[in-house]
Amino acid sequence: MKKTKLGEFEELVLLTVAALQQDAYGVEIKRELEERLKHKLSVGSIQSSLKRMEEKGFLTSQFGEATQKRGGKRKRIYATTSHARKVLEEMKEIRAGLWSAIPKLAYELKVI
Amino acid sequence: MNNPLSIRPPQWPVKFLRFFLKEKYLEEIEGDMEEIFYENVERFSVRKAKRLYAWEMIKLLRPNLIKNLEFVNYLIQSGMFKNYFKVSFRGLMKNPVNSFINVFGLAVAIGLCVFGYAFARWTFSTDQFHKNKHSVYLTTFFANRDGVAQQYGTTPRPLGEMLREDFAQIKNVCRVEDRSVVMKHDDNVFHERVRYVDPEFLEMFTFPLKWGTTNALKDVNSIILSEPISVKYFGDENPIGSSIQMIYGKDQSKVFKIVGVAAEFPKARTISFDFLVNFENFRTTDRAYDFHDWNAFVNATFIQVDNPSDLLVIKEKMDKYKVLQNSAVKEDWAISSFSFEPLATLHEQSEYIKNDISRSSKSNYVSIYFMVVIAVFMLALACTNYINIAIATAAKRLKEIGVRKTIGATRKVVITQFLTENIVLTSFALLIGVALGYFFFIPGFESLWHFNMDFRFTDVNLWIYLPVILLVTSIASGIYPALYISRFRVTTILKGSVKFGQRNLLTKVFLCFQLIFACIFITMSVMFTQNTNYMSKRSWGYNRAGTLYAMVPDQSSFEKLSAIMVQSPNVLSISGSAHHVGKTHKSTVLHFPDHDYEVDQLSVDANYFGTMGLELKEGRTFNDFEGSDRHAVVINETLAGNIKGNPIGLVFRIDTVQYEVIGVLKDFHSYTFRQLVRPIIFKVADKPDYRFLSLKARGDSDMEVYKALQAGWSELFPEIPFEGGLQEDVWGFYYREIGIYKLVWKVFAFLAVSLATLGLYGLVRLNVEGRTKEFSIRKVLGAGIKNISANVINQYLVLFIVALCIGAPLGHWLGTWLIEFSNEYHMPITPSGAMISTVITAVVLLATVSTQIWKVMKSNPVSGLKVE
Repeated sequence: MKKTKLGEFEELVLLTVAALQQDAYGVEIKRELEERLKHKLSVGSIQSSLKRMEEKGFLTSQFGEATQKRGGKRKRIYATTSHARKVLEEMKEIRAGLWSAIPKLAYELKVI
Repeated sequence: MNNPLSIRPPQWPVKFLRFFLKEKYLEEIEGDMEEIFYENVERFSVRKAKRLYAWEMIKLLRPNLIKNLEFVNYLIQSGMFKNYFKVSFRGLMKNPVNSFINVFGLAVAIGLCVFGYAFARWTFSTDQFHKNKHSVYLTTFFANRDGVAQQYGTTPRPLGEMLREDFAQIKNVCRVEDRSVVMKHDDNVFHERVRYVDPEFLEMFTFPLKWGTTNALKDVNSIILSEPISVKYFGDENPIGSSIQMIYGKDQSKVFKIVGVAAEFPKARTISFDFLVNFENFRTTDRAYDFHDWNAFVNATFIQVDNPSDLLVIKEKMDKYKVLQNSAVKEDWAISSFSFEPLATLHEQSEYIKNDISRSSKSNYVSIYFMVVIAVFMLALACTNYINIAIATAAKRLKEIGVRKTIGATRKVVITQFLTENIVLTSFALLIGVALGYFFFIPGFESLWHFNMDFRFTDVNLWIYLPVILLVTSIASGIYPALYISRFRVTTILKGSVKFGQRNLLTKVFLCFQLIFACIFITMSVMFTQNTNYMSKRSWGYNRAGTLYAMVPDQSSFEKLSAIMVQSPNVLSISGSAHHVGKTHKSTVLHFPDHDYEVDQLSVDANYFGTMGLELKEGRTFNDFEGSDRHAVVINETLAGNIKGNPIGLVFRIDTVQYEVIGVLKDFHSYTFRQLVRPIIFKVADKPDYRFLSLKARGDSDMEVYKALQAGWSELFPEIPFEGGLQEDVWGFYYREIGIYKLVWKVFAFLAVSLATLGLYGLVRLNVEGRTKEFSIRKVLGAGIKNISANVINQYLVLFIVALCIGAPLGHWLGTWLIEFSNEYHMPITPSGAMISTVITAVVLLATVSTQIWKVMKSNPVSGLKVE
């Protein structure tokens, strides 16, 4: 957990990229996240966090195919790096650990 | 939505994005955006999709997505700017007097700039609302007058119709003719001007209708009103379908049906109308109107040609009309060529076209130049105030700059800081200045001249103009202090070995300029005041006081009215005339054996000279019996001077009839002092031509006679409103006008003087404050008021003398030029104006300095020595 520096929103985007696999490009990530979060996101916020994570080494990317709907412009498909997956795992473990600690704490607090 | 891909996203956000976004991200993000756009098109309306698209683009402006432009980085140092703002606000609060001087000066100057802008916009927009302004042309012709080609705006009567028939390229032709009539609806009866036009008028000129339809004018029984006229006769009701009676002669009238009311006319226009009726109405209302008479002219003929190249073709073929015209008229009025003036620039050309329908805006253009000059002067005054005070106070900020430089500020950063401070200050001034302009200068000027400049904040150009003013002003006033102050080295500043600010040569030069400006303005204002006072006393060359006139429609009404007025004991004399001094005249060409003259002709009766108080210089006036002096004329001094030699007994021709000069009148002003006296001849008027009745009242009884005249008129002609008045009211506006000029110059002089005085006050105050210790020591050692005053004034005395020596003569010269430029007749110019202004300026300057001397005298030397 030392040098990861992964924000909450970034983590969500990263997880979405991991989940979407071959479909992980800008619009699709936005659509998926909007559906799950149930509120609107701007292209700017998604793109800036993608670029930031790419700089930090959580993501790699390459150009995909172009469609007519995109005015002949290529997609950029994102993929998670092994470093990212490790960090995600770590985060998950830390969270799980914390979650398992909660009921106990709450119970003890209640007694006092 | 037939095919979503035929809809394209808007282009400007893409261009915007391409400029800002890092290039390596461009393809991907543009593609994403387009994909989302097409999705949105399917889900929402196209408009909403476009709006969302643009909004998303703007939201893409994030630091890690946009290019590394240098200035972006620079702007990101917002923390530093926050500090600059804070420091400038503190500075403003700490020195309220200096801040007031700076902000007030700049605000006044900017207020004048806003006012100048409003006026210029109003002038430039004259007639520009016409959609066809580039395809509608006024037909004009050139004719030789006294050896000079003169352009005329009238047109031979048959030309319009012939143009319409002969040229397929001409889309529309519209003849315009005006007549004075009486309009009657129920109890509302007024004298009015009616415009006879071809039905195409409203097609060629963009005057939208509030009610009714434009093509309804085709019917000869239709009439269209302007909005104010509609309100005048019908109040707020919709008058469409109502009828109005036009009385155009004795017992002659026609009832028109109202088919339209024009919407309010744009404020800046030269051509408009009160009533519009079909041109064909001349066939009924004026039986004598010969449509085929080349000898008569219509007020204006407009043509509409959509293709400008067709105009050249038309122009070439105009020669045959010239031949037609010149064979019909007498050789005096032969024309040399026809030409066309586009509507868009007609108001600018109008000055040089005689008798044209438009109104010249030349004087407005001249005013714009003056206003630009004055606004720039005022801005310069305010900026120099700022510069002087900034330099003088720089000493107090040296430590701050030293510290800033020590912790790493470069010279560029310090300059940026000073300019930022300036922008803050100027923004304040801009706000106040715009308010001053909007609430004070513009309404003030509008109420003086009774017009509306239609100034609005929604004007797009204004929002370009204001930031430009802001930028120019803040840089002009801020760049020198910024460069000057940022120049010093850290070590010298912190050692405290820099001494500057109080003896800066440039400060002196600036102050000197300010004082010169102030002196110029005062001199000019004094001279204008003197001239106005002189003008209001200047004789017009005839009796204005106690003289009255009334307009009459024909001989019989003249006789009836004069029969009533003769009974009044207060009436000294009555006379009848076809023309009247200051109201009307006729242009005539006189043929001498060797030369032709164009003169103004007035036809009058024998009593006219006595009634009007026109003075005879030599010879005699007309004899007062029927049929006398049929071939005699009386001329004025100007014409006599032109002719040379003894004018009495001289013989010349008008057309083919011989006339003899029997008398010479002293010169008098038919028009204002702005215009040269023109050569004038008086002829005996035929009784049926009488249109004016003039009266001379006894002593102070003119108001009684005026009432009697009105009463007599309404008794005789209850149907027709009275038209006439006191001779003093003809050109009464002239006096109001020169009064306004006097006031405007006084305001300018006051502003210039206050700015210069404020600047001087600020400098003297800083100077005296900086020398508190010195003065305290002087006082302790026994210096009296004489010594202290001499000490303070000493360094300004040379400056004052130089400023007065340059300013007063310069102001005198400029004032003389301006007075001569705008008046043909003016006061004899003496140096007294310059002398008076020198005294005023000197008193103001000394008063300003003495406030500070007073402060020094009152101060306690003990507390002065304790400072720091």
